[in-house]
Amino acid sequence: MSAVYAVAGLEVHAGDRAIVRGVDFAIAAGECVALVGASGSGKSQTCLAPFGLSPLRAMGSARLCGEELVGADEARLRRLRAAHTGFVFQQPLTALTPHLRIGRQLDEAWRQAGAPRPDRRDLVALMARVGLDRGDEWLDQYPHRLSGGQRQRVMIAAAIAHGPRLLVADEPTTALDAGLRRDVMALIARLRREEGLALLLVSHDLPAVAEHADRVVVLEEGHVAEAGDAARIFAEPRADYTRALIAASPRLTDPPPDLPLAGGTLLEARGVAVSFPRPGWRRGRIAAVAGVSIGLGRGEGLAIVGGSGSGKSTLGRAIARIGPADAGAVRWQGRDLPPRKAMRPGDRRLIQPVFQDPVASLDPQWRVADIIAEPLRHLRPGLDAAARDEAVARAIAEVELEPAIARRRPATLSGGQAQRVAIARALVAEPEMLLLDEATSALDVLVAGRVLDLLARLQRARGLAILFISHDLAVARRLCGRIAVMDGGRIVEEGDMEAVIRTPCHPVTRALVAASA
Amino acid sequence: MKAARLPVLLLGLVILAAIVGPMLLPWRHDAIDWNAVRVPPGSPGHPLGTDMVGRDLLARSLAGTRITLLVAAAAAGVSLLIGVAWGAVAGWKGGRIDEAMMRIVDGLYALPFMFVVILLMVLFGRSILLVFLGIGAVEWLTMARVVRGQVLALRERPFVLAAEAAGARAPAIMIGHILPNLAGIAIAYLLLTIPQVVMIESFLSFLGLGVQEPLTSLGILVKEGADDMDVAPHALLLPGGILVTILICLTLIGEDLRDRLA
Repeated sequence: MSAVYAVAGLEVHAGDRAIVRGVDFAIAAGECVALVGASGSGKSQTCLAPFGLSPLRAMGSARLCGEELVGADEARLRRLRAAHTGFVFQQPLTALTPHLRIGRQLDEAWRQAGAPRPDRRDLVALMARVGLDRGDEWLDQYPHRLSGGQRQRVMIAAAIAHGPRLLVADEPTTALDAGLRRDVMALIARLRREEGLALLLVSHDLPAVAEHADRVVVLEEGHVAEAGDAARIFAEPRADYTRALIAASPRLTDPPPDLPLAGGTLLEARGVAVSFPRPGWRRGRIAAVAGVSIGLGRGEGLAIVGGSGSGKSTLGRAIARIGPADAGAVRWQGRDLPPRKAMRPGDRRLIQPVFQDPVASLDPQWRVADIIAEPLRHLRPGLDAAARDEAVARAIAEVELEPAIARRRPATLSGGQAQRVAIARALVAEPEMLLLDEATSALDVLVAGRVLDLLARLQRARGLAILFISHDLAVARRLCGRIAVMDGGRIVEEGDMEAVIRTPCHPVTRALVAASA
Repeated sequence: MKAARLPVLLLGLVILAAIVGPMLLPWRHDAIDWNAVRVPPGSPGHPLGTDMVGRDLLARSLAGTRITLLVAAAAAGVSLLIGVAWGAVAGWKGGRIDEAMMRIVDGLYALPFMFVVILLMVLFGRSILLVFLGIGAVEWLTMARVVRGQVLALRERPFVLAAEAAGARAPAIMIGHILPNLAGIAIAYLLLTIPQVVMIESFLSFLGLGVQEPLTSLGILVKEGADDMDVAPHALLLPGGILVTILICLTLIGEDLRDRLA
C-alpha cells in the first residue's frame, strides 16, 4: 500500500540554522505515526513546516498523496492542503471563529476542496460522525456556547468535513480536561479506523501515543533519537532519551511509590465554603466550594483531584488563607487558624504555596535573590542581611540550582528553573505544609518529572505535609497516599490512593482513573 | 524602539528650545520694540519678525511653548496622581467599593466638560488655576480605568498570592508588587494624556479663556496669528507648527510605549 504522506530527510530551517534534521517516516491509509519529544524538540515544526503553516522553511522531501510539498508555491500548497489534509490544533477556542455559527464554519470547511454546498442533513450527519448528537441544534450556536470537549469535536468535524486522506493532529488533547482527553483520542481513533484516515499525531501524552500509534518518531532537540514500531519502543526503548521520556510520565500501572508515613493530625478543615459574586449589582453568588471537610497528617500527602471548575484550587487557597472563604474553620494542631486578613506572620509560615504557572509566580521586576528572600523579610524581620543571604543561598542549593541564579530576573529563567525558585521561596519560610496547585502541569514532561522527584525528596527530608491539587491522578500519586476527588464544589469520593485507583466508585473518579491509566 | 526614536529626538529639541531659548534671546516675550512694529521675518534683531505691537515673535513662540508644556505637565501629573490612586484603590478593594468608584468615574465622563469649564470661568473669573482644575478633573478618568484594570489582573497573579503567603501586608504588596508592575502602562497612558491636555489648554486660550496676557501660550499665539494670517502667515505657521509637532510626537511615543507594554 502506498503512503498517503511520506517524509524523507526532512529538515526545518530558521534562517540558516537547521532546527530539525533528518526526519523520515511514512503513513499509509488507516495508520498512525506519532511525533513525541520534550518541548523545544521540534516536533510541532516537523509537523507544520512542510505544509507552509509555520514561518520556518522545510527542506528535504515531504510527499502528500504523491505530490511534493517542499518547494511548492503558496497557491499549490493551499490547494494540496485543502484537498487532502485536515488539521486539529491544541486550542479549540481560538481555532473556531467566535462570531460565526457552527453550521457556517462547517459549511466552509466542507466546501474548501471544491465540493458542492452541503445541505443541513449533511452537516447533521457530520456532527453525528464526531459524536455530537442533537447536531441540528448545535449548528445554529456560536462557539462560546460549546464546552471545551464539544469545541474540539467541532474542530475535528471541520477537519474531516471535506473528506481528507491525512489528519494532522498537533497536541489535540493538551488543552482538555483529563476525562475528555480519552474521549477525544477515542474519537480520532474511530475515525481513522472507519474512514481509513492516515493520522499524524504530535503529542507529549505518552500513554495516549502508546495506545493509538502504530509507529513513533522520538525527537530530541531536532534530531531523531529513535524511531520504529510503537509497541517495541514502549516495551524496550533503545535511546536513553526515550527511556527518560517514558520514565518521566507516571502511569497508574506503575508500582505504588514508597511514601513517608503520616504522623499525627496537622490540619483539619471543616465545612469550608467559598462563593463568588456574579458580575454586576445584586446578581447573586455562585458557590465554588460547598462545605468541604478534609484532614491532613504531619508529613502526609493528600491529593485533591478533579476537573477544571471543580473548585479544587479555590478550596486550596481558602485553606491556605490566600483566597476568600465564606464559612468553615481550619484547625491547625488543635487551634483555629485566623481568617485571611488576621493571619499573623507566625501563622503565615506554616503553609506555603507553589502555583501552576512558574513564570507568573515570580514578580518580573524582582531579582531571584529578592524573590526568595521575601518570606524572610516579612516572617523573620529580625534577621540581618548576611543571615538572609545565607538562608537564600541554602534554599537555592536545596532546590538544586546554581548560586549564580540569585542575580537573574525571572524573564531569563526556563520554566523548570522558575518553578524551582518558587519552591525555594516556599522553603525559606520553613513551612510545615506545602500547597502545590498544579505545580508540575505547566512544565514539560522531562522537567516535570525532575521537579516531582525534588518535591518527593523534600517531602521526606523535611517531613512536609503536602496538599497536592491536580487533574492528573498519576502525577498526584507520586506524592500522595490519600486522595479526595472533587466535583461541583464537593468531595465525591475520598480514601486511600491505591484503593480508590483499584475500585473507583463515583463516575468522576472512574473517568479520572481511565484518563490516567 | 526604532519607530519612536525620531519623535523622541524632535520632542527633546522642542523642550530644550523652550527652556534654553528665552535665556539666549535678547528680547523678552513681553518686551516691546518700538522701532520694529510688525516687521517681516529676516529683519535685523528679529529673525522671525514681530507682532502688531512690536514683540519678538520667536521669543513669544518659545515662551508660549514653555507655558503650554508646563500646563500640560502639571495637569498630566495631577491626572496621574488622582488616576493611579483612584484606580488602584478601586481595583484592590473590588466588589461594591469598586463598583461605586467606577460609577462615579462614568458619571464624570458624562459631564460636558468644556461647557463646565467655560461656566466656571464666567462665574469665578479667568484664572490659570481654574484651567488646571478643570483639565485635571477630567483627564484622570481614563487613567483610573486603565490602572483599575491592571490592578484587577495583577491582584490575582500567583506572585501576589505568594507575597501574601509570605506575610506581606496590603501596603507592602501595593508598593512592592502592584505599582512597579503597572508603572510602564501608567507612563504610556500619561504620555497619551499630555497631547489631550495641550489641545484643551490651546483651545481654551484660543477662545480667550485660558492663559492671560502678557503671558502667552501656543493657543493664544495661534489665535493672534490667525487674526493676521492674510498679511503675516508666518505668525500662524510658527506656533502652529510647534503645537502640531508636540502633539504628533507625544502621541507616537505614547502609542509605541503602550503597544510594547500592553
